[in-house]
Amino acid sequence: MSIQSILDIGKSGITAQRLALEVTSENITNVNTPGYSRQTTIFQTSFVTEERGFPLGTGVNVAEIQRAYDDFLQTQLKTEASTTGWSSTVLASMKRAEQLFNEFTADGLGKSMQEFFAAWQDLTANPQGQPERQAVLARAQQVVDQFHRINGYLTDIKREANQSLEGITSDVNESLTRIASLNDQIKLIEIRGARANELRDQRDLLVRQLSEKVGITYLEQTDGTLNVSLSLGPPLVLGNKAAELSLEPDAANNGYYKIFATSPGDNTAVDISSIVGGPNNSQGRMGGTLQVRDSLVNGFLSDLDELASSLATEVNSLHSAGFGLNSSTGLDFFTAPTVTSGYSGIGGIQLAISKTADIAAASVDPVTGGTGNNLNSRAIASVYDKVLATSGGNMTMEAFYNALVGKVGVAVQDAQRSSDLSEGIIKQLDTLRESQSGVSLDEELANLIKYQKAYEGAAKLVNVGTEMLDTILGLIR
Amino acid sequence: MRVTQNTTANLVANNLQVIRRRTEELEQQASTGLKVSKPSDDPVTAQQILNLKARIAAGDQYGRNISNGIAWLTMGESAMSEMGNVLTRAKELTLQMVTGTNNPDAVTAGINELTQLKQQFLQMGNTQLNGKFIFGGFKNDTPAFDTTGNFLGTNDAMMVEVDRGAPIQINYSGADLLRGGTPPGSSGTDIVAAFDNLITALGSNDMTTAQNQITELDNGLSQILAFRTDIGARRNRLDAANSVIEDMKFSTTKIMSDKQDIDIMQVISDLSKQETAYQAAIAASAKVSQVSLLDYLT
Repeated sequence: MSIQSILDIGKSGITAQRLALEVTSENITNVNTPGYSRQTTIFQTSFVTEERGFPLGTGVNVAEIQRAYDDFLQTQLKTEASTTGWSSTVLASMKRAEQLFNEFTADGLGKSMQEFFAAWQDLTANPQGQPERQAVLARAQQVVDQFHRINGYLTDIKREANQSLEGITSDVNESLTRIASLNDQIKLIEIRGARANELRDQRDLLVRQLSEKVGITYLEQTDGTLNVSLSLGPPLVLGNKAAELSLEPDAANNGYYKIFATSPGDNTAVDISSIVGGPNNSQGRMGGTLQVRDSLVNGFLSDLDELASSLATEVNSLHSAGFGLNSSTGLDFFTAPTVTSGYSGIGGIQLAISKTADIAAASVDPVTGGTGNNLNSRAIASVYDKVLATSGGNMTMEAFYNALVGKVGVAVQDAQRSSDLSEGIIKQLDTLRESQSGVSLDEELANLIKYQKAYEGAAKLVNVGTEMLDTILGLIR
Repeated sequence: MRVTQNTTANLVANNLQVIRRRTEELEQQASTGLKVSKPSDDPVTAQQILNLKARIAAGDQYGRNISNGIAWLTMGESAMSEMGNVLTRAKELTLQMVTGTNNPDAVTAGINELTQLKQQFLQMGNTQLNGKFIFGGFKNDTPAFDTTGNFLGTNDAMMVEVDRGAPIQINYSGADLLRGGTPPGSSGTDIVAAFDNLITALGSNDMTTAQNQITELDNGLSQILAFRTDIGARRNRLDAANSVIEDMKFSTTKIMSDKQDIDIMQVISDLSKQETAYQAAIAASAKVSQVSLLDYLT
């Protein structure tokens, strides 16, 4: 064994331990970087030579800088992020809708309808009374206002959901472009045999963030690039090319947006509205937004329309058969609903009479039958207790409204449950990921000392080699 | 399992979050006093509570209708009681006159008093409550009887609901009560006609006819009495309905309270438990987060 080889082995130690120290410092400084995966230096002995009949190693090599990474965890995190995105979006909207129907903290439509029919009861006791008649009109106006208010707010929720698609779409587009560009860089680095660890971490994080916005699937290619598609097929990223999502107002749906995608390397935009959030639009914020806008809120609105329409139809049919104090007859109390859809909104239900004398409390003309005739007001007052054929079965208006309140409650509860659940799962997965890929400072500090001592040792080796060389050279002198 | 600084930090943050959320829920319950304060807290119970609330509100309305009805019936009863007095006095007077001396002055005075009594009787027929002539049927904003005793009202029933689908009549027809039906005398005693006949007979000194009217006055008294008995029966129904409603409101309120209200002792004690848990969690987290190898390296 030559002194030269001592120096060589020492040198290999110095370089290898220094590289390990660099990796450790990278780990320490990225302890709080989201998505960062801990890296480990893998050492291996250099090739073995034979020295005077003995096999001897030639020092140390860094075989690989390994990234602690679990592909299966990443897939689960991505799936769960889709659910979280969906449920948190739905939950936020449903909670807002719930406030409109909260009869516990404020008097809402239910209370207004109750008071409206109570006013008719009071009118029955005193059919000529001006105050009673005034009360009927005031309570009716209140009912109309409540219908308009709830309809207006529900429509606002839909409009705002539609508006939020703009932000989500541009976020998605940005993520797609960045993933495509990372694909390009990763491919360039790895084609030379190196591992683009940090870039892969960044790309994983982007995929997670993207899947929170829209349901996706992905597949890694042999060249290290990642192909991303929507849950139901159309590609979003192919190698270094990204698709672009765009929005177009849909005249058939109140001018709300339809979502289009222009696939990578294609020029034609395809309507992906029905598949963008995965099956039934139940993935990601985009899916949640579309569900809120196109189905959940519409369900409440159609119930509200039906309620307004039944109220007007029932009251009108009795009212128009009765007589006012001034002999007026045949008058509708509310504007007659022509179609149920949209009837609860402004332009729909409205008071059709404005004079107290026009309120038809009597069943025959008071001029001949007496102003004390209360038969019609009694009939109208009992509409509140009448069992009607509704879309939800045979029930009173009150029960129908209470059922609607229940529906809203259930929708909130569903979204809440799903959100709590996926939040819990994400926490668990994050903990698993942290235990696999997270940086432990204690560990790194221990490594730091380990590598530092090894570095010092290797340096000492060089020192010893130098001294030996000096001794030999001294012999010559 | 590897545990890193981030694992610990996340755990601390999550635990504190869980405790904070639970505390907030309890605080909300303590400040509102309600277990269910929005539909999503418990959709099924929420619907039941709304239904119970509506029952209580309906009960209040029926209560108002009942007290309205009681006012009408009480007014009717006092009018009928006065009518009875008038008829009794008229009968006394007639008895004196047909059996007593035929002093012309006394007869004139008697006729005068009878005329007054008839007017008083009709006056009772025009009894008002809040400006409504209670015996006038649906034509109740004008007098039910004119000065000669013609009935100007209608025989319609004024009904009010005292419970769901349970209406009760709160008025009586003046025509039935004072004139024995429409036309007068068709279904009972025409008391006004009895007065008129009596006055005419006494004026022409026709004591036989006058004597006959005593029977008519007796029949009239029974007729009024029959109506008063009926008022009693209706009052009973109203009182019964009222107590049913009061009972219903009481038990409904109780059920609602069970479903809706918190057990304040429980909530307060839970709240203080949460507070202790929160403080313990903070203290423990502070200790755990401080420990690091860095502290031991020089």
